[in-house]
Amino acid sequence: MDKPEKLIVDGRRLDGRLPDEMRPLKIQAGVLKRADGSAYVELGDNKVLAAVYGPREMHPRHLQQPDTAVLRCRYNMAPFSVEDRKRPGPDRRSVEISKVTREAIQPVVFLELYPRSGIDVFIEILQADAGTRTTGITAASVALADAGVPMRDLISAIAVGKVDNTVVLDLNKQEDNWGTSDMPIALMPRKKFITLLQMDGHFTPEEFKHGLSLAFKGCEQIYEAQKQALREKYSIKSEGE
Amino acid sequence: MIHVQNRELVVPGQLIAEGGYFIREGAFREGQQIYASVVGLADLHGQNIRIIPLQGRYMPKTGDVVIGVVIDTHYSGWILDLNSPYVGNLFVSDLLQRKVDLLLEDIGQYLNMGEVVMAKVKDVDERMRVSLEASEPGMGRVTGGKMVEMVPTKIPRVIGKKGSMIANIQNVTGCRLKVGQNGRIIIWGDNPRMVSAVVEALLMIEREAHTSGLTDRVRLMLEKVKSEGGT
Amino acid sequence: MYEIVSSVKRDYIVDLAKQEKRIDARTLDQYREVDIETGLLKNAQGSALVKLGNTQVVAGVKIERTEPYPDSPDCGVLMVNAELLPLASPTFESGPPDEDAIELARVVDRGIRESGAIDLDKLAIKTGEEVWAVFVDIHMLDHDGNLIDASALAAISALWHMKMDGVKDWTLPEFPIHKKPISVTTAKINGKLMVDPCLDEENVMDARITIATMEDGSICAMQKGGIGYFTREELELAYEMARSRAVELRKHVG
Repeated sequence: MDKPEKLIVDGRRLDGRLPDEMRPLKIQAGVLKRADGSAYVELGDNKVLAAVYGPREMHPRHLQQPDTAVLRCRYNMAPFSVEDRKRPGPDRRSVEISKVTREAIQPVVFLELYPRSGIDVFIEILQADAGTRTTGITAASVALADAGVPMRDLISAIAVGKVDNTVVLDLNKQEDNWGTSDMPIALMPRKKFITLLQMDGHFTPEEFKHGLSLAFKGCEQIYEAQKQALREKYSIKSEGE
Repeated sequence: MIHVQNRELVVPGQLIAEGGYFIREGAFREGQQIYASVVGLADLHGQNIRIIPLQGRYMPKTGDVVIGVVIDTHYSGWILDLNSPYVGNLFVSDLLQRKVDLLLEDIGQYLNMGEVVMAKVKDVDERMRVSLEASEPGMGRVTGGKMVEMVPTKIPRVIGKKGSMIANIQNVTGCRLKVGQNGRIIIWGDNPRMVSAVVEALLMIEREAHTSGLTDRVRLMLEKVKSEGGT
Repeated sequence: MYEIVSSVKRDYIVDLAKQEKRIDARTLDQYREVDIETGLLKNAQGSALVKLGNTQVVAGVKIERTEPYPDSPDCGVLMVNAELLPLASPTFESGPPDEDAIELARVVDRGIRESGAIDLDKLAIKTGEEVWAVFVDIHMLDHDGNLIDASALAAISALWHMKMDGVKDWTLPEFPIHKKPISVTTAKINGKLMVDPCLDEENVMDARITIATMEDGSICAMQKGGIGYFTREELELAYEMARSRAVELRKHVG
């Protein structure tokens, strides 16, 4: 695919969005039976599944912490999730993303309530279209709540970037490939505490600040959708009332 | 000042109240504000705030009656799976209520791997190491019956106010039930259809635990099955 | 990668932070002493040994011929790898790179790659068939905190002192490096931000943010690490500190 001449035409992006618009978002909680908690998220063409097992006995034993639970995250891209088949198994990128995902979520989980146990979070990218790590974090957060793991807040995540010198919210694949900046962010929405921040590309300090503002706005929308998904799972059941 | 209604469905991070309320479960305090920590139903009485979790693993508490499964043995006792992140330890002396000479007796005659045990939580330390006892009447090895597992937070609904729900089920179906706080229930009954009906009833309770009028609906459902069977 | 810190030491560092003081008497915006020696390894086209306080890191750069990536047929290839050698710390184990080593390598890589410091498009030999590959290998030798900044400094210093005479059929006049992106890592302890955390500070910190800036103050890479969080205001302050410290550090690259 060749680079399009312009990524923003008449103030609109190639897919018709304005710079501060997100792609369509769909979140469902409790989609898997075996896992203690789960969530499915679609953001644009991204399709991401997250599952939580735990708190449960921690194996191997020597990794147990005497007074807290240990949180482990595994981000994995299915071989069929991307255009050119990806070899199965963790690559360096997945290892890094697993790490920063764990560090994005850990601040809100009440780990100290479950000494010596483990909480495992599995994120599977079934279809990728830029923004998989933030979609994964959004899904993982809902899956943890679905599992009944106590948390201080949910974590909402989105990426901002720069195309044609304009800071935009929620890059799609083309914008990620041809843009000049990519900055994924995760937040504790209640207090606007930033738990994930990565960036590569080029930002002036002003663009960075504007990017943060856009990300905060995007995360507000994601937060509402996450809460709604959790409520929906249980309100269907109360039809018996 | 309370920000939610009684029995409202809340999510983690949701503001429940402001002020000097007493948090029983499922919420935490930041300064003057109290927030929910789990997805659950707000249960507000007087100064007490409780969020009843709709999901969650069983956390052993002293005094709980639990149904465990033997997963390991050691020299002087057994390790029981409790449907929890934490296992329970049962010393042979806490099962038999007498001193046992381990050199003379083989404890395998009392309990083996995979067997089901009704026990009481004797103690839980800060490391969540759980010790069990099973010498009271009604405790100990369990044979026969069908075991059902459900989310532990729904167990109180199975018992009901003053035992009304479980009495209901037992009276209508003629089955006998033993309920563990850890989400496990054992059903005994001569009529397999009735036993299946009880399982159905338990699934119904798990699904609709947070609704009202459940006791009547369960009773109606069971009576219908009973009359259809012509037993 | 974290060691257990005694509660006495932890409390001491945390209390000092509240008073904007540090365990080694530095100010919040002060780096430890920096010493960079380049060209010390004769079999590498570029090399640098960085001492940042007691932290020591060595980077070696080797140039080889390779096939280009399919989607960039006339660009050279950059690969950054980091090894947390067991000799550098009792907490490092031998074996393939773990998540800390991988993160470190990728953060240093992004600082160099995203800044466009190396003109990769000058490194083609035969379009679509052969290009030059730049292998940057960074080995930790002594871990006293802030391996990221030390590694980034080692990498960029090595790249700015390349000797290409040993490379067969190298036809370019010089190695095409034109910018000096500089990484600055800031730790958050007890609500205070401080640059260049030493090992004790790293073991106690809530979180860290690494920001790589260019000569004009623009940002080319960022990475938050650790299980704590930052507020927006803290990030903006961290950026200011990163930008001003980078000016000093850049002088050491030579």
